[in-house]
Amino acid sequence: MDNKKTWFVTGASKGLGLSLVKQLLATGQSVAATSRNAAALKEAVGSNSNNFLPLQVDLSDDRSVALAIQSAIDKFGQIDVAVNNAGYGIGGSIEELSDAVTRTSFDINVFGTLNVIRHVLPFMRQKRSGHIINISSIAGITANTGWSIYAATKYAITGLTDVLAQDVKEFGIHVTLVAPGAFRTSFLTAESLVMTDTPIADYTAIRNSHAKYAGMDGAQAGDPDKAAAAMIQLVNMPEPPVYLLLGSDAYQRGLNKLEQLAVAFKATESLTKSTDY
Amino acid sequence: MSKVWFVTGASKGFGRILVSQLLAQGNKVAATSRDAASLAEFSGNDFLPLTVSLTSEESVKAAIDKTISTFGKIDVVVNNAGYGQVGALEEVSDKDARENYNVNVFGLLNVIRQVMPHLREQRSGHIINIASVGGILGGFPGWAIYCSTKFAVVGLTEGLREEIKEFGVKATVVLPGYFRTSFLGADLSVTESKYQSVKDSIQWHADLDGKQPGDPEKGVAAIIEMAKSENPPLNFLIGKDATELVPEKLKGMLDEINEWKDLSVNTVF
Repeated sequence: MDNKKTWFVTGASKGLGLSLVKQLLATGQSVAATSRNAAALKEAVGSNSNNFLPLQVDLSDDRSVALAIQSAIDKFGQIDVAVNNAGYGIGGSIEELSDAVTRTSFDINVFGTLNVIRHVLPFMRQKRSGHIINISSIAGITANTGWSIYAATKYAITGLTDVLAQDVKEFGIHVTLVAPGAFRTSFLTAESLVMTDTPIADYTAIRNSHAKYAGMDGAQAGDPDKAAAAMIQLVNMPEPPVYLLLGSDAYQRGLNKLEQLAVAFKATESLTKSTDY
Repeated sequence: MSKVWFVTGASKGFGRILVSQLLAQGNKVAATSRDAASLAEFSGNDFLPLTVSLTSEESVKAAIDKTISTFGKIDVVVNNAGYGQVGALEEVSDKDARENYNVNVFGLLNVIRQVMPHLREQRSGHIINIASVGGILGGFPGWAIYCSTKFAVVGLTEGLREEIKEFGVKATVVLPGYFRTSFLGADLSVTESKYQSVKDSIQWHADLDGKQPGDPEKGVAAIIEMAKSENPPLNFLIGKDATELVPEKLKGMLDEINEWKDLSVNTVF
């Protein structure tokens, strides 16, 4: 089997994206990788390989994304796998996060992903193959206290992935939602997170939750290199799943959530069914 | 028991019926629409019509302030405004996708952001967000953008419920199946598609319009009934079709998660 593929990976200068790009290059795959800052990306990846195309992209800008995808196509001739990995955590109650700061998080976590999908699909449809991997989070399946807006962005990714997977099946294109639990990346560091700058003292549950997360940084159970390896394994499967949880914590929480939902819906079944004509 | 309700998108569909039933039951109702003239069928001292642009935080704030100054408090907030966008994901422009989010997500967040100071001060209240069964499952070809807005509402409501619990304020997300409103008719934004599955889905939904199994009068009555509960649910399905679709979806997800368990859990240090 020919395992050499061309990958397009967003948010590649750190975290899961960086682990993925390094592993891909080490195994001789071609990689177009994006970051807000191409210089930082080149330094982080540290590769002079001709298989590596670093791209400076503003994901929230539809035109910038279109140009990046065209550059990848020009260099490698195709894109086999697109990984929408860029994203960041945003913490605070809904009341404590302004419309502007909320929209900025959707720009990257949601609209950036939509922009990539919009521009990569014509190429994948044309060659009747491809795999789109959207990195959501276990928070896109079950929300955490103090991270409502982050959950909203990640649930949004879950929803659009679920629909997209069916819509592009007729073209032989696979779509997978990867939902990681806590991985030992820079995700929980002050440079990566956006936290409310107008905290309201009343919200004690949120402050406690945020303190718990801050305490977890550096001690997350998940190994980002193993997550990257799992994603590479994923694309080599003939029938990849639509949902792939990553991490034992994500597995347990995903399972719990689905079971709780089933029980909760059963509890209101008669009222639910009372509304037909 | 009479309560003060604040309802967005009140000129048609669920919103209009909700206002009608609430007023008939002796509640006080502040209702928003892009143009308050579209609310002219309602009147009386218990009714406050408001012209609001939900995407303008100032406009939302003014509406909530007016409600508080008129009725003294807000007991129940219903974020009902929203519309469907259908079309293959690559065919719906960035502009159209963002417009769907403006109403379905960012407008709703503006209301929550502006009403929460009052509900925290009261140490009571209930925020009811109207999403869709498409906020839990994505089995609707061509509805990726719409479903993503509704998934977002489901996710943020789940987070909201926990963050406001300590103030005695509740949050529920309502997940209706197909109800006979103008949702699939005049209100639907359709992007023409080249995808066969999406074309079929658009046609299927056009054919369903006017024949949806759900009675919006009964759907609204169920929401009012649910809101009377001391312990309202986080997720509230309405419609028999919803009860058929959702358990099947949850079982499918569970099966898939279990099938792929090894790859999932072998990622820890």
